[in-house]
Amino acid sequence: MASANKTINTDVPAKDIFALHFLQSLSNLRIQNPLNSPEETTDRVKKIKMAAYISMARAAGGTNRLWSRALLRRASKENNKINRFSRRKRKVTWQISSERRGRRSSNRRAPVVEEVAERLRNFVPGGGGMETSKLMEETAHYIKCLSMQVKVMQCLVDGLSPK
Amino acid sequence: MDPPLVNDSSFSAANPSSYTLSEIWPFPVNDAVRSGLRLAVNSGQAFTRPEHSGNKDVSAAEESTVTDLTAGWGSRKTRDLNSEDDSSKMVSSSSSGNELKESSDKKRKICGSESGNGDCSMRPEGETSSGGGGGGSKGTEQKNKPEPPKDYIHVRARRGQATDRHSLAERARREKISEKMTALQDIIPGCNKIIGKALVLDEIINYIQSLQRQVEFLSMKLEVVNSGASTGPTIGVFPSGDLGTLPIDVHRTIYEQQEANETRVSQPEWLHMQVDGNFNRTT
Repeated sequence: MASANKTINTDVPAKDIFALHFLQSLSNLRIQNPLNSPEETTDRVKKIKMAAYISMARAAGGTNRLWSRALLRRASKENNKINRFSRRKRKVTWQISSERRGRRSSNRRAPVVEEVAERLRNFVPGGGGMETSKLMEETAHYIKCLSMQVKVMQCLVDGLSPK
Repeated sequence: MDPPLVNDSSFSAANPSSYTLSEIWPFPVNDAVRSGLRLAVNSGQAFTRPEHSGNKDVSAAEESTVTDLTAGWGSRKTRDLNSEDDSSKMVSSSSSGNELKESSDKKRKICGSESGNGDCSMRPEGETSSGGGGGGSKGTEQKNKPEPPKDYIHVRARRGQATDRHSLAERARREKISEKMTALQDIIPGCNKIIGKALVLDEIINYIQSLQRQVEFLSMKLEVVNSGASTGPTIGVFPSGDLGTLPIDVHRTIYEQQEANETRVSQPEWLHMQVDGNFNRTT
């Protein structure tokens, strides 16, 4: 019951929190890149996308979720800034998980599910070291957050676009 | 409370295998558990507790373990509602008599695992090897299980399934995965009709991809809006962005110098936002 609850009860993060974060970073982006900056549009699109993902990860509870943690970490790596998490600790956990995964793959596995789950791992951030059931859980939460994000962004586009 | 009397009455009840099982009772712990299932079989013949109490004097120690395990099952019963043989789990606690067909299956398994006794005349076909091999390991496993009550995952092998602990753990893992998969399926629209785990996972991947593409597209749109909005008339739409645009526009900063005094009230909040936003970027 508890485990079932956990998957079903992936509470969707509040939309307004995401919207707030996102708007902040949007205005921030505008401040940093004044109007006639030589920046390419694709670059700016990338930045906005990154801002959207980061705000989603923040709204989803920051480091509580594995995928949000992975997203934040990836973003921080891309920004070439100092990592917020201690390097050593994470390395250890990753080593362990990858090692466990390798061992299991060498032994026996339900072929169909695991095979497709491998592909799923590429799409869920931080899914590389997850156990399969955990991966499912994280995927469920990630999908919910993504759809929330899409909805909010759609609303923003609709609201902000000039008439 | 008189064991032989009760047992005699039960043996006359046209169930010859129950004789062997009541003898089986005092042997290993796991069979103590299984004969909890036997109770349900016999309850069809209107004796549930007598055999139980009759076995009590045979081995009091096993009796205590049985009650422990049944208590554990009772608490766990709500947890795996969709487990494969749920009804057989609540047998020992409820002792209701309708599990005949299911527990007769179990009964044969007990015979298989206890084939070393020689008492068992009906030996099931594919059960002897797995049952005999799994007897020892399962006994130790179930002794270990009550200690960590949180991680206690109840698995029960059906007929013909292996019962060594690796297989049990693997089965539990797979069950957990499929449980999560159904939860995932509920989230994704239109995914309920798809049959087959691979197809479902494909659908999930497609869905995630489409969402990610949507995000990309929307961020493209937002880029246009965002870069245009700083000059356009839609500044006011931003709840905090209208204040954020202040430093950009040089003309406005000069022009609104006196106006800023009025907006000074909200200045601390704005500063806080700025700091927060910068923090967003850096981390």
